[in-house]
Amino acid sequence: MRLALGPRGLRARIVLGFAAVTLLVSVVLVTATFLLARSYLLGQREASLTRQAFADANVLNSRLATAGTDVGDLLAELVPSGGADVVLRSGDDWYSSTLDVGARDMPPDLQDIVAGGAAGTVRIDGPDGPALVVGVPLRAVGVEFYGVGRLTELRQVLATLSAVLAASAVAATAAGAGFGVWASRRAVQPLEQVAGAATRIAGGELATRLPPTDDPDLVAIVAGFNSMVDALAARIERDARFVGDVSHELRSPLTSLVTSVEVLGSRRAELSPRAGQALTLVEGELRRFRRMLDDLLQLARLDGDATAGSGLPVSMTALAREVLAVTGRPGELLEGDPDGETLVRADKNSLERAVRNLLDNADRHAGGARRVTVQRREDAVVLAVDDAGPGVPLEDRERIFERFARGAGAARRSLPGAGLGLAIVAETAARHGGAAWVADGPDGGARFCLSLPAGTP
Amino acid sequence: MPLRLLVVEDDDSIRTALRWALEDEGYDVAEAVSGEDAVRAVAVAAPDLMVVDLMLGSMDGYAVIREVRRDHDLPIIVVSARADTHDIVAALEAGADDYVTKPFEVKEITARLRALRRRAGGGTAERAPEEIVLDADPAAPLVLNEARGTVHRGDTQVPLTLTEFRLLCELAASPGRVFSRQALLERVWEHGFFGDERIVDVHVRRLRTKVETDPSAPQLVITVRGLGYRLDPR
Repeated sequence: MRLALGPRGLRARIVLGFAAVTLLVSVVLVTATFLLARSYLLGQREASLTRQAFADANVLNSRLATAGTDVGDLLAELVPSGGADVVLRSGDDWYSSTLDVGARDMPPDLQDIVAGGAAGTVRIDGPDGPALVVGVPLRAVGVEFYGVGRLTELRQVLATLSAVLAASAVAATAAGAGFGVWASRRAVQPLEQVAGAATRIAGGELATRLPPTDDPDLVAIVAGFNSMVDALAARIERDARFVGDVSHELRSPLTSLVTSVEVLGSRRAELSPRAGQALTLVEGELRRFRRMLDDLLQLARLDGDATAGSGLPVSMTALAREVLAVTGRPGELLEGDPDGETLVRADKNSLERAVRNLLDNADRHAGGARRVTVQRREDAVVLAVDDAGPGVPLEDRERIFERFARGAGAARRSLPGAGLGLAIVAETAARHGGAAWVADGPDGGARFCLSLPAGTP
Repeated sequence: MPLRLLVVEDDDSIRTALRWALEDEGYDVAEAVSGEDAVRAVAVAAPDLMVVDLMLGSMDGYAVIREVRRDHDLPIIVVSARADTHDIVAALEAGADDYVTKPFEVKEITARLRALRRRAGGGTAERAPEEIVLDADPAAPLVLNEARGTVHRGDTQVPLTLTEFRLLCELAASPGRVFSRQALLERVWEHGFFGDERIVDVHVRRLRTKVETDPSAPQLVITVRGLGYRLDPR
């Protein structure tokens, strides 16, 4: 199994940091406590054992000196106090108060010290666990005294102590990690709020702001974030208003132009042939200009008005039929489900413009629409416009829905179109909670689809 | 005799071009360059129709419409550069009958004007009775006289605009029948499929303030949720 060593999140890092620090601190504390406790307890025990050995040795010494009794008998009489065993050496003979210890357990180093006439202590690992041997020479009687005190109990105490300390170290680490979880949650919570607010703003809720806070650490973040959103919203509004204002400013001259040209048009008979041709040209260009301006205004409206997507129930089939009729296209193009099943909730005029744009797009780039189908597909109503053109290359299929994108050949063929038509289709779909896309048509051309959520009456 | 039409527009080019185009269509066109001018012209010349731009100088289009509506029932079409919901609804509530957005073609305006001048009930074949009692309140009955073009509450005449009157006639011709907004738009305003249904809503609201005893709880012109409107005679 491999450990996941990828980049960790802030929360994981905070938790790990807290856990690591508490672990380190508790290990140091526990170790120090253990070592101190062990050396203190050992020292105490050794001191008492040594004291006791010397006391026993004294008793033995005085007994042997006065009575001159046999060492072996005396050892039997000697009741070792404090649970210590006694081993005696007289010449080459060894005597022991118990069968558990004997000459073999006496460390040679200590024997050398005692033989040299000095007392000493040595720690040994006897058959029953660790023990302390205290050697005392009784020179007056030619006997070497060894007291053997067991340290087994002490070891058990120390084992218990170390277990308790280890457990508390683990508990402290866990508590540290828990605190880390809490702290990280507190630390990350404002970030999550920011992330949530940013998501809502990206979703179009430009009025979203972070709530004001008293936390001195967060005040700067909150203020910075909110002023950023303010600036962003102001910028978006300014851009949208600019497009709207420019378009509105253009409307007045365009109105007098259109009306004047209509006056000219009704007097066409009075014009010379060349003037009539020029008038026809102007009329065509004016129509194109109007379309572009309408497209710009429609986009500005879709950008600026968050409620542009809401609307009344409208039958997509009926709408498609009307668009075909209004634009002078044959009604036979339409193949659709019965009216009732293709209801959507939409702003009728926005939807009309979108459908009209799809038809115009087919005119411009693919020699006209071959078929318009309206179908109910589960929770959506899909309008598809099939053409018999060259189709749209895979790599262009997203791009052509962007503003001012044109088909590859559009620039060369001097066809009208500002490249806003499909952008309006996409924006309209998005505003209504739907989608727009292009796929391969059944007849080899392109199939442009506009899908909106199905509505109820 | 040609219909007299008043064009209220502060943009000289638009006003002039509009006058030429409307004169070509056979109207007798008068011009007003400001709101005050327009109110004076209506009082003096008593035009049959009015085309008003919303953005004028000191006295804007809304004020002109409100002022003219005090004493006149003539059809008023608003010409607006802004097609925003707010502007249009405000103009309709002030008393406008219909609207077109700039840039328009003159034939759009003339089509709207023709529809608004059409005589009430002129398009429907069925023979309506002389008088229809809409509210049989013994103290003050509400009576519609389609032939004379009047509505009376008791002895006083209810001041309806031509369009409000036609809307009421349309609803009263088939009492109890539900008319969709779309159907009313087509019958009264002669709008096509893409007409603005808010026009109907605002007119119904205006009509209610004039014919209902309590406009906030309508008893006569009933909203049928999701379908449209219906008239219930009482």
